[in-house]
Amino acid sequence: MQPLFPATLLVLVPLLPLVGAICTVLLGRRLGPRAHLPAVAGIAGAAAVALILLLTTYAEVGHGGAHSEPVRPVEMITTLWQWASVEGTPAGEGLTSGAQQGFSIPVTLRLDPLTATLLVIITGVGLLVAIYSIGYLHDDPGYPRFFALVSMFVFSMSMLVAASNFLLVYVFWEAVGACSYLLIGFWYSKPEAARAAKKAFLVNRVGDFGLAIATFLLWMTYGTLNFHDTPNSAIEGILSQTRLADPGGIVGGVIGTAICLLLLLAACGKSAQMPLHVWLPDAMEGPTPASALIHAATMVTAGIYLITRCAPLFVACPGALAMVSIVGATTALVAALIATVQNDLKRVLAYSTISQLGYMFASLGTGTMLGFTAAIFHLVTHAFFKALLFLGAGSVMHAMGGVIDMRRFGGLRKVMPITAATFLIGSLALSGVPPFAGFFSKDEILATLHAKAYPSAHAQEHGDLPVAAGADRSPLHLAAYSSDAHAATPAGAAVGLDSLNTPAVWQTLFWMSLVTAGLTAFYTFRAVFMTFTGPVRVPPEAGHHAHESPPVMTWPLIILAVPSVLAGWLLFSTDALAHFLSATPSLWAESVRHTATPLEFHWDLAIQGTLAAAIGIAVAAIGHLGRRSDLPQMERYLGPLEPLFANKFYFDQIYQALIVKPLEGLALLAALFDRSVIDGLVDGVARIPVALGSLVRNMQSGLLQRYALAGVMGVLAIVYALAWQLRG
Amino acid sequence: MNLLSPGTHLLLTIALPLIGAVVLWLLGSRGVQAVRQSATVTAVLTLVSAAWLILRYLGSTAAAAGAPYAVVEAPWLVDGLFDVRLSLGLDGLSLWLFGLSALLSLTAVLVSWEAIQEKPVGFYVLLLLLEAAMLGVFAARDVILFYVFFEFTLVPLFFLIGIWGHDERRKAAVKFFLYTLAGSVLAFLGLLTIVLWNASHTGKVTFDIAALTAGMAAHPLPMNAEGGWLQMLVFLALFAGFAIKVPIVPFHTWLPLAHVEAPTGGSVDLAGVLLKIGIYGFLRFSLPMLPDATAVAAPWIFGLGVVGILYGALVALVQTDLKRLIAYSSVSHMGYCVMGLFALEPVAVEGATLQLINHGLSAAGLFALVGMIYERFHTRSIANLGGIAARAPWLTVLFMLFTFSSIGLPGLNGFVGEFMILAGSFQRAWSGVAPVWQTAYMVMAVSAVVGVVLGAWYMLWAVERVFFGGSREPPRGAGHAHDHSAAAHGAGGTHDAGGHDGHASHGHGAPQVAADLDLHWYETAALVPLAVFVLWIGLMPDTFLKPSAGAVRAAARPSADAFAARMESLTVPLPGNPATDTLTARVVPLP
Repeated sequence: MQPLFPATLLVLVPLLPLVGAICTVLLGRRLGPRAHLPAVAGIAGAAAVALILLLTTYAEVGHGGAHSEPVRPVEMITTLWQWASVEGTPAGEGLTSGAQQGFSIPVTLRLDPLTATLLVIITGVGLLVAIYSIGYLHDDPGYPRFFALVSMFVFSMSMLVAASNFLLVYVFWEAVGACSYLLIGFWYSKPEAARAAKKAFLVNRVGDFGLAIATFLLWMTYGTLNFHDTPNSAIEGILSQTRLADPGGIVGGVIGTAICLLLLLAACGKSAQMPLHVWLPDAMEGPTPASALIHAATMVTAGIYLITRCAPLFVACPGALAMVSIVGATTALVAALIATVQNDLKRVLAYSTISQLGYMFASLGTGTMLGFTAAIFHLVTHAFFKALLFLGAGSVMHAMGGVIDMRRFGGLRKVMPITAATFLIGSLALSGVPPFAGFFSKDEILATLHAKAYPSAHAQEHGDLPVAAGADRSPLHLAAYSSDAHAATPAGAAVGLDSLNTPAVWQTLFWMSLVTAGLTAFYTFRAVFMTFTGPVRVPPEAGHHAHESPPVMTWPLIILAVPSVLAGWLLFSTDALAHFLSATPSLWAESVRHTATPLEFHWDLAIQGTLAAAIGIAVAAIGHLGRRSDLPQMERYLGPLEPLFANKFYFDQIYQALIVKPLEGLALLAALFDRSVIDGLVDGVARIPVALGSLVRNMQSGLLQRYALAGVMGVLAIVYALAWQLRG
Repeated sequence: MNLLSPGTHLLLTIALPLIGAVVLWLLGSRGVQAVRQSATVTAVLTLVSAAWLILRYLGSTAAAAGAPYAVVEAPWLVDGLFDVRLSLGLDGLSLWLFGLSALLSLTAVLVSWEAIQEKPVGFYVLLLLLEAAMLGVFAARDVILFYVFFEFTLVPLFFLIGIWGHDERRKAAVKFFLYTLAGSVLAFLGLLTIVLWNASHTGKVTFDIAALTAGMAAHPLPMNAEGGWLQMLVFLALFAGFAIKVPIVPFHTWLPLAHVEAPTGGSVDLAGVLLKIGIYGFLRFSLPMLPDATAVAAPWIFGLGVVGILYGALVALVQTDLKRLIAYSSVSHMGYCVMGLFALEPVAVEGATLQLINHGLSAAGLFALVGMIYERFHTRSIANLGGIAARAPWLTVLFMLFTFSSIGLPGLNGFVGEFMILAGSFQRAWSGVAPVWQTAYMVMAVSAVVGVVLGAWYMLWAVERVFFGGSREPPRGAGHAHDHSAAAHGAGGTHDAGGHDGHASHGHGAPQVAADLDLHWYETAALVPLAVFVLWIGLMPDTFLKPSAGAVRAAARPSADAFAARMESLTVPLPGNPATDTLTARVVPLP
């Protein structure tokens, strides 16, 4: 790879949307109805460049053939400018006796297979969403603002995945959050939108709190925040090839686990995992294209990216890894249960997003090469079909005059055939029906969980392969691995969490995921049947809009439908993605690499998954196919569970009661304390001189002698005091 | 460049507002227009002069090497015993604060454009006097001069609040004045003790800050029972003065009152510059001159900083008055500065000095915008405001920008300072304190990060209520007939381009008769420079960190060394480790 050529191109990916955003801000009003031009052009340019970068990187990695040659790590680093630096000092010369760590934050971008893959998804989906928005928002007064924000988002998100430094990741982690805040609150006059925007930002801030502390701890532990090695110095980057090649390079134990759990907290915030998932459903108050781009395809996958990027850190801490899967599988199940009773089409999709992201977390937590690549695989396919579904929902909403309650319309397949057809494709992909995209990626996730849950079965299968002996994958091995390397850190203290890492836990997680697969198919097809089948019904708000959306909106649907059908099979059958990703330095790390297993298709799992999907679809068909969607729903058979699901497991209420209200009470108390006690004391003290004054008043007798005496005594006191002080 | 020696240039910069004040006084009879125009011209000239001086400083090799720049010295009383000089100059500690004073003074003048119709001459004269005093405080290299300027900042602000303030202005002015004065008198006694102690050892009564710093290093004030804990007493005296000024909780109650009652221009100067003098004082006097006492007090003041962060944020959360909310947010943000300074860790101390500037910019911007909202709607009650975004989009954009800056959104300035302070504090907690302190330090550092979440909570809550949602309070312009129906929205819309592209569409100072709620040209001019620096510091903080790094470290080092020594003494040597290595070797895992 010529160093200059990709470096320049890499800078262009974020730069073009940024320029687009700035142009939109400056020229927006003048361009009027053409205000989308700078943004669309910028994102289109970025998408083209990202594609070139992907191909270049792919060529660099090579095809791998029959796994003959070992994969070499591929990365390219380019530093733009020094953001902030505080010089370190050697021992004895600094402010304290120990050596001071320097604090040097370069703005450095990186290109490796993981980044290249995500850049294509971000800019590609971004481009389609931007084009779609031309139709969706055509007469909105905030038209230019929307495109400026979407452009800004694409910039921030590209920077997030291209940053080669934890601080820079934090910067853009918050920047995408800010874009999300502004887009959720796009229709700011709607109080619900304003509230949802604030909620999203604050819940994300709780996650950011984790990322901030994790960043500080990483800095303490590693002495740098860079992923890469610092040139011309001995500082090894946290995720650099030199460190990853060194078996003792990554810190495990208590500190490692703490760092990983904090990173997990951050990922939970951004990727809407329990317990920080509450913001995403409310975020649906934003314009639907923004939901498709930010709250389905890209921003919410930042958590997946972060954990994949930090794979070696997590692999060194089996307890934290298990937590990732537990959080993921639990979220997947709970969100799917909630989705089954939602009547707002966008909210069904929102909970579905939370649930699918949960799948990815569950996969990541297995800590195997297959787990990481399967998560990214699912991320990619999910980006396509979930963006498709959201844009389809937007198309419905557009036609229905803003109504999104599924009980109020029905039979729309006759009204809007293209939307219906593409939505069906997206739904099949989401449900994991073969041969649609979601089937393959979900199958890989189930396979990786299954391997963790039933290691002996898999060890038998691979008995003839030297790399994949069951013992190698066992958590015990990893625990020993990390504690040996760091005898100084008490590895035993993390045992509390490490004990989660048992086959029983993994078996539970596997079966939870399988149940979730069935639920997914159910709620997806419940939505499909409610919206598109049955007698044609259109709400009065629709007015003259009740027809298929314009081509500028339907073409993105059609384009997204193609990968929703094909991407899974293509990427799975060639094993291209997994092979490509394994050249990412983080996944190339020895601790991850040795878990690699050859590509295979698990017929038994595929059948289980498909069966689950089929049952889900069948139940949905029994309940909803061809029925009026405003008739009583299947929920009534749920009994006491119905209110639990409908109220989203009461998360909002619990947070309100346990966190918000007590804090507000504390704040009121503090304000009261401030006014009465502190300020009261101050006013009290202020009265003392007045009181003293009235005491002293009678000493002012007018007698000169007394004044003189007082003066002399005063001078003597000062002189005495000084003499006493100066005597040493 | 050599037309003007740096020293003369500095003198000229400080004198310009004074000259302007005189000119203004003479022009007083020509009406408001002439008065505010000449005040603006003066502030602009001063700002240009200060900016030019800063550029010269940055270009100077001597300054880069750490020498004070633009030194002017005039002997005042020099004989065998006394060595008193009037000495001015700039160094890394004061450089940016000096610039900030000049910048915010222009903002203060511009935001008063329409707001001050009553007795304008007096108002602008006081504002310019305040500017000269602020510039002087940061340029003073002599204790007497510092103290004179320090006190002199009080007087104009006392009158600004007392005469042009709101309903409770008298009470606020008196409280502000007496509280600050009480503290500063104690601080002066402390400084005098330093001077006398130095004199008793050198035989010369000098007030020169550099000489005193050197003197205190050579023969420190006693910090033991037989010396009467004199160093601690002096530290506490200085603490009284500077802690009230910052303000450090619980000495903060004058601040919300003063802010709420002050006219906008006064609030801008107060929040933007005057609060910074407290931290500057610590860094100029306490840390370099009283290291042993600082080392003893540092954990406690560090803790007070954290308490201030959380306490200020909590109290801000339930405020009903937008200006009071921002006043409490200042308490919270100054907590970060206190914490960073007393972490005594290079990253944190540099972060704290940068945060002074950051808070100066964002707080000044927010106070200015609150003033603009008040002028438009005649209320600051959060409950009565709402939906401003639709009617004044550019005002909203700027408010959001300063809000994001204040809650530390990366890419903007507030983040840099906050991050460095927290990073340094974590480093201190991690490997720079004795085991007995470690848990406490860790808890404090983590609590400070909680403040980041709370900070977003109250600011975004206020933004949501005031700017978003439907309109709650019909706009009532100051004596102008406003049509606040759909027309206001339309006017706001078309106004955007004008407001953004250089405010060409506005009549120069013409009375506002249109239903025009968005920014006026003078308001745009007041805020855009601040916004530029908000972005600049956020994107390229190194530009601002580098020139001050050396001086800041040198100032903090005596205390940091003393603190390290104290922590060593508290550390029980680990078995098997040589005692000297205990601090570095003892990396105790998280509690």
